Amino acid sequence: MLFNKHRFALLVAAATVAAPLAAQAQRKSPLADAPAIRKRFELRSSRIELGAGAGSTINQDYFHTVMINARLAYHVTDWVSIGLFGNFGVAQVSTGFQGRVVDSLDPEGMRMTNVDREPDQTGAKNAMQQIGSILGAQLEWTPFTGKYSMFGKLFSAYDFYLVLPGIAAVNVKTAGSVARSCDSTAPTDEANPDRYVCAVKGTKMGGKVGVGFHSFFGQTVALGVELSDVIAQLNPSGRDVNGDGMADKNDLSWTNTLLVTANLTVYFPGAKISP
Amino acid sequence: MKRLAISLSVCLALLAASATGHAKRGGGKAAAPAADENAGGEGGDKAGGDKAAGGEAAPASESLDTTGEAAPTTIEEEIGGPKPQRPTTTLTWQDIVVVPRKQFLKSGRLEIAPIAGITVNDNLIRHYMFAADLNYFLTDALWVGLQGQYFVKQLSTQAELVGLQFNRISTMNRYLYGGQFNMGYVPVYGKFAWFNRSIIHWEIWALGGIGVTLTENISRDPADQDSKAFKNTAMTPSFAIGSRFFLTQWLTVNFALRDYLIIDKYEPLPDPNTGPCTDATDCKNKAPGVVVNNFVAYVGVGMYLPTKFSYKTPR
Repeated sequence: MLFNKHRFALLVAAATVAAPLAAQAQRKSPLADAPAIRKRFELRSSRIELGAGAGSTINQDYFHTVMINARLAYHVTDWVSIGLFGNFGVAQVSTGFQGRVVDSLDPEGMRMTNVDREPDQTGAKNAMQQIGSILGAQLEWTPFTGKYSMFGKLFSAYDFYLVLPGIAAVNVKTAGSVARSCDSTAPTDEANPDRYVCAVKGTKMGGKVGVGFHSFFGQTVALGVELSDVIAQLNPSGRDVNGDGMADKNDLSWTNTLLVTANLTVYFPGAKISP
Repeated sequence: MKRLAISLSVCLALLAASATGHAKRGGGKAAAPAADENAGGEGGDKAGGDKAAGGEAAPASESLDTTGEAAPTTIEEEIGGPKPQRPTTTLTWQDIVVVPRKQFLKSGRLEIAPIAGITVNDNLIRHYMFAADLNYFLTDALWVGLQGQYFVKQLSTQAELVGLQFNRISTMNRYLYGGQFNMGYVPVYGKFAWFNRSIIHWEIWALGGIGVTLTENISRDPADQDSKAFKNTAMTPSFAIGSRFFLTQWLTVNFALRDYLIIDKYEPLPDPNTGPCTDATDCKNKAPGVVVNNFVAYVGVGMYLPTKFSYKTPR
């Protein structure tokens, strides 16, 4: 009897110790696995974004293209969206590099060289490629969202997104008149200047990657800035690239066209509030 | 009987010990009698899960004194008899603050930041920059620093195509070393949620600097490289905008775009009257000065000394 009482007491002791431990093991912080931010405005999820603005190519060899642009996107979730974009060239600005190259050449009608591939100033400039428009669609990922303060006074919500991937149709033209298209066969006569130059025209399909951010004014309007790289088969000079001594379609090469665009976008319908 | 009494004593001791331990999980002051009933034992867990609110859990000594919370319950019990206790855990809410403190303080600390970068705006020649920043923060938003740079050149495809397409040879300089004295300021501070799962703090800074860059001609005629190429110590003001992402109490990842305005000298063109320059000194004397915008995009890792900091103001 005494033995049973003793065992009972030990059982009680074990249970007394085990119960809090078990409860402690089961206890889990209510904040564990919780969203980092509660009750926040869902500025993107299930919303349509419509924007318009302007931009420019950067890092081009011969011509920068100043563009106006439009953008339409549907945000499937808070961090995934599908977008359509259109950039339309409104002005072509000569680069400093183009100026130095062209200025170093002989003026038109005053050729002083016997090197057949060396153009005069007008011939060189006419064949240089300009971008007319860039249209396309893109998938956007928005992993970063947050708020920032400027000088501790101005507060704004923002997000960073990646364009990965996008497809783009780049419409190109030449700066001036060129005798033949790059789709035609180059003259066989090595003394013929037209052998060394051709016009790159039409629409070239390519890919697009980029990064961008939105800085919100309230919950409906945002400023969007995007840096993107459109990669397509182009020939900025319209001249021989592969070293075969003639200019033709084989001289098209994968070329990076960097774009910076800024636009004012409007989101609708109204933003929901997260749980 | 004696054994039973000992066993029961052990039971009671264990019970008391476990109950005390349970209550202590609520925080240092939670062991107070009034807190025992309301603490619920979860205060410690929730405080630990305070990443969402501000990144740091409050130390136990900062836990809320819940004595005041117990009084209404006592009154209700007196008027309407005992009622089920609300599962209030006020110890947790103190740790969830409306405006969390900055996650990272820099004032009075030294930043050592190795850097790797690349020039982005030159069509003909690309430079890879390996550098180190040494910054001392006078305040949390203002710093002074030094930067040392080492450059490695790479000619671009365009540099070769100029000869093929236009029958021209480019005039280029390479950069060797550089040094800068910097002053920086942080106008923008922010944070972002990573897929709404964690909070990362960051800032945007702007910087101005002055220094020198050692440059060297790449002769248009490779045969002249040893005899006519000259080096130039070029005055180099610079401006930058960048950002820091705070990872730990002593570690940041830094990104920047910096414009080094190098007041440089290029190999002169042959003079129509006197012909080409004769040696390095003559070439340097005849070389025209030009201002070159050398944009460098770089990434760095900032390591801070001392490695820890403490907040000076109450939470």
